[in-house]
Amino acid sequence: MWKPQRSIVVRALALSTALSLAPALTAAPTTDPGPGGKDLKVIQLPLRSDAPKTIDPGRGSTTYDNRACSMVYDTLLQYSYLQRDPFVLEPALLTKMPICAEDGVTWTFQLKKGIVFQDNDCFPGGKGRELVAEDVFYSWKRQADDATKAKSWWLYKDTIVGFDAYRDAQNAAAKAGGKFDYDVPVEGMKVIDDHNFQIVLTEPVYRFIWVLAMFQTSVVPREAVEHYGNRFSRNPVGTGPYMLDEWTDLGMSFVRNPTYREEFFPTNLQEGDDAIVAESSKGQRLPIIDRVEYTFYKKDQPMWLRFEEGTLGYTQVPAENYETAFNRRTKKLNSAYKRRGIVAADVPLLDFIFRQFNMQDELVGGYTPEKVALRRAIILATDFDEFNSSFYNDKVIVYDGMIPPGLDGHPNNEEHRAGPEYRGKNIALAKEYLAKAGYPNGEGLPKIDYYVANSANSPEQADLTARQLGEIGIELNVRMMDFSSLIEACDNKKAQFFSFAWSSDYPDAENNLALFYGPNQSPGSNHANYENEEFDRLYEQTRSMEPSAKRTEIYIRMRDMVLDHAAFAGSMARTRSYLIQPWLRNFKPTEQFYNWVKYLDVEESLRE
Amino acid sequence: MWNYIVRRLLYNIPVYLGIILILMALLRFGAADPAYTFLGKNADPGDLEKIRHQLGLDKPFFVQYVQFLWEVLTLNFEQESWGRPGRTVGEMLSTAYIPTLLITVPGLMITATISICVGLISAFNRGRLADRTLMVLAVVGMSVSFLVYIIVGQYYGAFQLKEWVGTEIFAIEGFDLEENGFIAGWLTYCALPVIISVIVAMGYDTRFYRAVMVEESSKDYMVTAKAKGAGRRKVMFVHMLKNAMIPIITRVMTTLPFLIVGSVLLEYYFNIPGMGNRLLGAIFDKDFPVIQAFTAIFAVVFILSNILTDVLYALVDPRVRLQ
Repeated sequence: MWKPQRSIVVRALALSTALSLAPALTAAPTTDPGPGGKDLKVIQLPLRSDAPKTIDPGRGSTTYDNRACSMVYDTLLQYSYLQRDPFVLEPALLTKMPICAEDGVTWTFQLKKGIVFQDNDCFPGGKGRELVAEDVFYSWKRQADDATKAKSWWLYKDTIVGFDAYRDAQNAAAKAGGKFDYDVPVEGMKVIDDHNFQIVLTEPVYRFIWVLAMFQTSVVPREAVEHYGNRFSRNPVGTGPYMLDEWTDLGMSFVRNPTYREEFFPTNLQEGDDAIVAESSKGQRLPIIDRVEYTFYKKDQPMWLRFEEGTLGYTQVPAENYETAFNRRTKKLNSAYKRRGIVAADVPLLDFIFRQFNMQDELVGGYTPEKVALRRAIILATDFDEFNSSFYNDKVIVYDGMIPPGLDGHPNNEEHRAGPEYRGKNIALAKEYLAKAGYPNGEGLPKIDYYVANSANSPEQADLTARQLGEIGIELNVRMMDFSSLIEACDNKKAQFFSFAWSSDYPDAENNLALFYGPNQSPGSNHANYENEEFDRLYEQTRSMEPSAKRTEIYIRMRDMVLDHAAFAGSMARTRSYLIQPWLRNFKPTEQFYNWVKYLDVEESLRE
Repeated sequence: MWNYIVRRLLYNIPVYLGIILILMALLRFGAADPAYTFLGKNADPGDLEKIRHQLGLDKPFFVQYVQFLWEVLTLNFEQESWGRPGRTVGEMLSTAYIPTLLITVPGLMITATISICVGLISAFNRGRLADRTLMVLAVVGMSVSFLVYIIVGQYYGAFQLKEWVGTEIFAIEGFDLEENGFIAGWLTYCALPVIISVIVAMGYDTRFYRAVMVEESSKDYMVTAKAKGAGRRKVMFVHMLKNAMIPIITRVMTTLPFLIVGSVLLEYYFNIPGMGNRLLGAIFDKDFPVIQAFTAIFAVVFILSNILTDVLYALVDPRVRLQ
């Protein structure tokens, strides 16, 4: 277990003392941190697999970066913590949801007053100043600056009037020996006053609203970026609920931000939330925990053992420990855990795990009936249920289409089926299609190159794919490689047939449908190189539509178009199992957003 | 001797340049484009070019090669890590070698000491029950995977032991030498990984040292020593051990450069922020500056330890002359 240095603990205790002298901080504290920090609420949490690389929203892109940034920074909007299925956004830095004008492109925003950046040396006198509209634009402009080495320009690309041109012009100026001028205005970004601003979009794009809740759009102060330079990645200064206290190779710790904006625990409890939410937390000022300590676990066993000994507040259940925690047949939590008061929670992920065809490939691509028949034979010979039982403890949802469960357009029937011929295993029918394609029993069909990214059990999964397709006489030439080589092969349109996974960036099927949008062809995200004018037209139409029955109907049409062309074999969405200690309260796991730590509480009497 | 050392150092310069050349070529022409790793799943074609430019990958290979050699020559590892923005390569490496050495050096010393003693005993009792028992144990020890030792050791040696005795003797994972002082910290966080590494290495080393001792025990000087009435202990530890020093030195010295690499598995499972942990992370991140700097340092240590081995040969065996 990573432990902070003693001096850091002392500092934390000092902080708690300071907190106790600031009664305005908590409206209804469950504990009153007294001098010496006796009642300091501390929690240890795991970060599985990897660690954050940066706590700079401008440079971050991974889940781990997201988790760290969400502790320190705030976004304009945030996910409503307790509302799931569907996810709902609510104002964070804003006073209310942004207002869209009738033209569909002009959005007006109003910032809350009195939100201040954390105290830091970068400010005069070390005192954090108030966040204003210019800070929002400055933060977004950093994504345009090549010097930031940003990875998320795609969020803004072709979205805000004049932003792309600004990016090109400023980077060109910087390259020519000048500087990237953040003071040059962007046509579509208008500051009305310190707390009000407008954005003009290039076209009505509904997804923009989701982007405003993504950590990459968090607001950073210019003073900090300029003060710390390259070190800003490790010296975050935000308006979020926590401040970074220490960051080592083993973990990171955060302490409560004493100047965090006035925010209270939500009162809109959903069905079942009563069992999760502590009575004392309702309406309480956030954040509730004083100190959060993350440990990075590259291997699952130490994380699991730390949970078992009661140190960690929760753990994801590693595959090798699944049968320790759950009854394999009933999927119920084993009684040994129930007796300890540990509870289990399943988190469905917005996953699209699939095998994709390169539609421009001479052998497996194309749109003629024979070409479609070949792909359909492959699809019908693939048994995703076998993958589910062999590799996922029967915990994935096998479904038709590219729209994961929980999103509009997903086939919401019991079997997640969109049509009778979209999914295997149906060997007889697969053989029929293979014959229709001109390859009866696979005769005359060359080996198909199957590209797979090397990961934990991908060699075994590739073997299973090869065996399943072998049943109808199709031979695969499996090509294992690392993920970036796979992406490179896809970008160069060299990958004939490949295994891929997509996690939705935001809970809107538009994000998944974009994977088949013509203009996104490789090297864009449409690695299938799927071309369908009607699909493209509908995609462009739905981009500006708010969620509605009409939009869902169009999503389904688009989904089925791709299914009819058999552009991919799929799909699977994982369900992640969590175990939660009885003393950890208010934890409603999700992997869609990560600013939920501020809602957590601990019940010390149970922990002892 | 100094002439010899200087000459060996000069001879090794082309070797060193070749190592760096091959490494950089492999990274740039044999591996996937790091720009894809850097940008992730939403990589934009235009951004790929920009990232290659920012990382300096669009410069001619020779220019990159010379630039890196200059950095090594001037010991300037101030370049920012690609995988961990805000940290320099120097910082990344300088903080990692101590945790590694705290595991590997005690591991090597304990393993070598025990293995040599066991090898001596085994050789001296060749063919007897003690010898056969020790060799069976060594073979069994070798046959079990390192990973099994780690998983079982971590579970029983740390987690279960704490359950049994009610207090933490060995930590499940982590590394903290400050909270309770260096000694207590080392015992809590490093002792169990060291024990595991010793158990794993013992099987191989014991068999090796036994073979060396068996060969020595059949030589004439051993018969002479015994005939002159030298005691069993003197024969073993004075005559036999002294004459076996060349292979022992070879074995220990060839291990030396790998001490700084550490054990990736041990460091991963026990969350030790050492070199193995960092190197593997850099490989996953395609963090070329860190991989290159690490390899450059490793190559230096490797070359120096080879030269040192030759020097030690001359010191322990007067028949060896350095020319």
